[in-house]
Amino acid sequence: MGKKNEIPSGLYRLLAGYHVKKDDIIAHTETDMNLEGEFARGYVILTEKKLIVATSEPDRTEVYQFKGAGNLRDLHRQKEKVWVAQFYSVDELERLEVLRTVCGGVLYSTSKKEMPGSVPDVQLSAITNMKMGDMLRIVKLFDILKEKKTLTEEDIKEEEEQEEYCPKCGTMYPDKDRKICPKCMDRRSIFVRSLSYFAPYKLKIALMMVCYVITAGLNLVWPYLSGTILYDRILAKDEHFLQILGIPGMKFVTALGLIVLTMLLTKITLQAVGILQGIMTATIVPDVVKEMKTEVFRSMGRLSIGFYNKRQTGSLMTRVLSDAERVTGFFIDGLPYLFINVLTIIATAIVMFMMNWYLAILALIFVPIIFTISFRLMPRLWQFYGRRHRAERAMNSRLNDNLTGARVVKAFGQQESEMGRFDKNNSRVRSAEISLMHFDNKFFALYVIFEQIANVVIWGVGSYFILSGTNMEFGVLMTFVGYAQQLNGPLDFMSWLFRWFTESMNSAQRIFEIIDAVPEITEKPDSVHMETIRGDIRLKNVTFGYEPNKPVLKKINLKIEAGKMLGIVGRSGAGKSTLVNLISRLYDPQEGEIFLDGVNIKDIAFRDLRRNVAMVSQETYIFMGTVAENIAYANAEASREEIINAAVLASAHDFICRMPDGYDTIIGSSGRNLSGGERQRISIARAILANPRILILDEATASVDTETEKAIQASINLLIKDRTIISIAHRLSTLRDADRLVVLDNGEITEEGTHAELVEKKGTYYKLKELQTKALALRGVE
Amino acid sequence: MSGKVKKTLAGTEKDHADPEEFDLEKMEKETEEMLRLRFITKENAVFERTEGGFVSMEIEGEIYPRVQVYRSFPFTDPDAYISIREPDEKAKEIGVIKNLRKDVSKETRQMLEEQLRLRYFTPKIEKIINIKDEYGFAYFDVLTDHGACRFTIHMGGGSVVNLSDTRLMITDLDGNRFEIVDVTKLSAPELKKLDLFL
Repeated sequence: MGKKNEIPSGLYRLLAGYHVKKDDIIAHTETDMNLEGEFARGYVILTEKKLIVATSEPDRTEVYQFKGAGNLRDLHRQKEKVWVAQFYSVDELERLEVLRTVCGGVLYSTSKKEMPGSVPDVQLSAITNMKMGDMLRIVKLFDILKEKKTLTEEDIKEEEEQEEYCPKCGTMYPDKDRKICPKCMDRRSIFVRSLSYFAPYKLKIALMMVCYVITAGLNLVWPYLSGTILYDRILAKDEHFLQILGIPGMKFVTALGLIVLTMLLTKITLQAVGILQGIMTATIVPDVVKEMKTEVFRSMGRLSIGFYNKRQTGSLMTRVLSDAERVTGFFIDGLPYLFINVLTIIATAIVMFMMNWYLAILALIFVPIIFTISFRLMPRLWQFYGRRHRAERAMNSRLNDNLTGARVVKAFGQQESEMGRFDKNNSRVRSAEISLMHFDNKFFALYVIFEQIANVVIWGVGSYFILSGTNMEFGVLMTFVGYAQQLNGPLDFMSWLFRWFTESMNSAQRIFEIIDAVPEITEKPDSVHMETIRGDIRLKNVTFGYEPNKPVLKKINLKIEAGKMLGIVGRSGAGKSTLVNLISRLYDPQEGEIFLDGVNIKDIAFRDLRRNVAMVSQETYIFMGTVAENIAYANAEASREEIINAAVLASAHDFICRMPDGYDTIIGSSGRNLSGGERQRISIARAILANPRILILDEATASVDTETEKAIQASINLLIKDRTIISIAHRLSTLRDADRLVVLDNGEITEEGTHAELVEKKGTYYKLKELQTKALALRGVE
Repeated sequence: MSGKVKKTLAGTEKDHADPEEFDLEKMEKETEEMLRLRFITKENAVFERTEGGFVSMEIEGEIYPRVQVYRSFPFTDPDAYISIREPDEKAKEIGVIKNLRKDVSKETRQMLEEQLRLRYFTPKIEKIINIKDEYGFAYFDVLTDHGACRFTIHMGGGSVVNLSDTRLMITDLDGNRFEIVDVTKLSAPELKKLDLFL
């Protein structure tokens, strides 16, 4: 089991004292709790003759590491402990079991000796969920050992040695099947990754950049024109300047005209460049936003059903809708301005230094201070944005919940209290927004204060220089003030940019989280294409649970022949729906295999599998669109006749024709309301039209009336000719025509056979049948 | 694997697969039983520790060599409506203790609390040393009433649940639980670390 599970040398010494050698040990696992309900290290060790439970005292100074949080190095540093071992004879123990607790388990044994009045169950050891898998393996090996008296290499062999720690830094992988070390992972930052979405627009972006450079350059020229040149050259009547201009003589008015014209041109060019850049922005942004939304949506489609079960619809919607815009907004508006502003700041600084270096120092001394503070405050800002996002998400979910359940809310007259609940979420968004603004304002105030101080200092010191007659001209001071004010814009922008950047990266992170999510069910690269499928299904030792180590189905073995109908009966929660979910591969079994025509369904191409297996489940869903579109959902090319045929077979044709708009009736969320039975019949028609080899009906006729059900049954009898049908039903009459029936109980098949055989057996099926015919029959009606 | 639990303990389970003819009356009696809530008090029931560390029980002449003890309101009212159930997977209810503090003797209460302690084992976080979130996971480094723990949770939905405005339940990658009983008792820097989940 690698190093993490190694038996400490102190325990080995203790075992040696009891003549248990290292080689005797077949399997062992670490345990992390004692039976008093405290963390304590221990081991359960299995040899051919003995089961050894070793314990140590709880150690409060130790750090208990759970999955994903551990580090190999820390484990090596564990202290030696005083071990106490208890020995149980394998012969005397009847069986080992793990009693599940809320987040762990208790290993206990049952011995052969019957004690009067008491169950001989003995608690041996306790574990948290982290050790559950390892413990269940010991139990499994123990079972085999009891059965066969000895264990072969094959039995002991562990299912594919899984590396749990990053070989580079020793950090435990959070997800064993996805060996990505959070520390050593490719550090391509979110920023660079977001940037890559703009790669196709290189040319346009280059053009934008040119615009920005022009803007920055002209911005630099402006204060010089309006300051030094205007005051010190023209108003001060500098002859030398006229010579440079090439118009020697006394015509200062002409020079003034030229300067004014240049100034005008500068402003016009600035505006023109601004417009051009605006056009570029307008063409790039919508494209990138669309691209991002498409990718998020595509990733969501790729993900397995389990992903959706874990998340709320409202929160997923926020991701697709607003996050993409937030990311792009920053990149297209923020980033170029950052570029231009940094350029402006640097160029301005250089010019200022060239003009008068001590004034420049005074003007610029605050810039690095502001930047340092900004960087330090950024994580805080990040948190505020995260909090606002979560508040928004909670509100969206609440809204979604409420709108979906509108009927229940009305029926119980709970509008008032729902209002209160919504208000609570709404207020949370408000306070998150306020605290964000609050923080942001402080941020902004900080900038403004520094800028103003810098301005006042320049005025003061500059004027002092002029008064004291140092080589400082009035025009230079004017230019300087112009430059200093020009710095204000970019600096204000920077304060804003930090906020913007944080917000955008926050959104980007959420988007990538979805894009990077690995689907639990994947198509093999070399998947088998199966044009035609006969419909033979075989389940071999299938074990599955929605949560690890909590099996819903246990070692199911089942054979369904092509062209036959199998009925599945069982209590609610027995695992019936889970079983068919596995056959249609919405989930993959944790152990065992499922074969379709002798081919493991994991090897079959998704397209072929989906085309050949159709399911009508308990939850019917009607998409926005017409009745015809809904029926033809899986086969958009179906002809009108095919659609009608499917509807007739599903006993839906009648009620569809009775609606004023017939097959063109708009149904779904914005259209006409259908009853539960009507929805079900449309779903059945949808499945029939898909023309699958395997048709799964999961309580498909539960909401239709008895008469309609009879009609649907008759059509199923027609359909079965070249199909395999699996039908789940509580109402046994639904399964009357099934060739074979299985009874599922607690995730196991408890009875199997034809209707007659099962009645003969007088088991659960018989009991159910009697209950439905006798106990539930209306008294005196019959 | 655990499917075998049922068979092991079959001695305590009433045989459901009735070999005799269908008995409507028996069935109806069972149904009635299902609809009745039986309250357990110190007058009608006796609990005892078993040698193996479990608890046995006798109520109105019925003997249960091993029972399971469940809470009905584990978060909001841990002492109320303690459900005593049969030990197999189906865990049929035997009866309910309305109030663990009043309705049973002190010894019984201690006995049952021992069972509850194991079943509902949840370390309570007393101090947050560090929380780091990276690439879809958050790494917690905390001090609990059971010692120092480091664990990891999935970001994005479901791992941190607000039991009330001030109480948090945190579930790690394996489904282990950690509780923060009152977030207002945490220091300001700790709250700042936890901010992501509030």
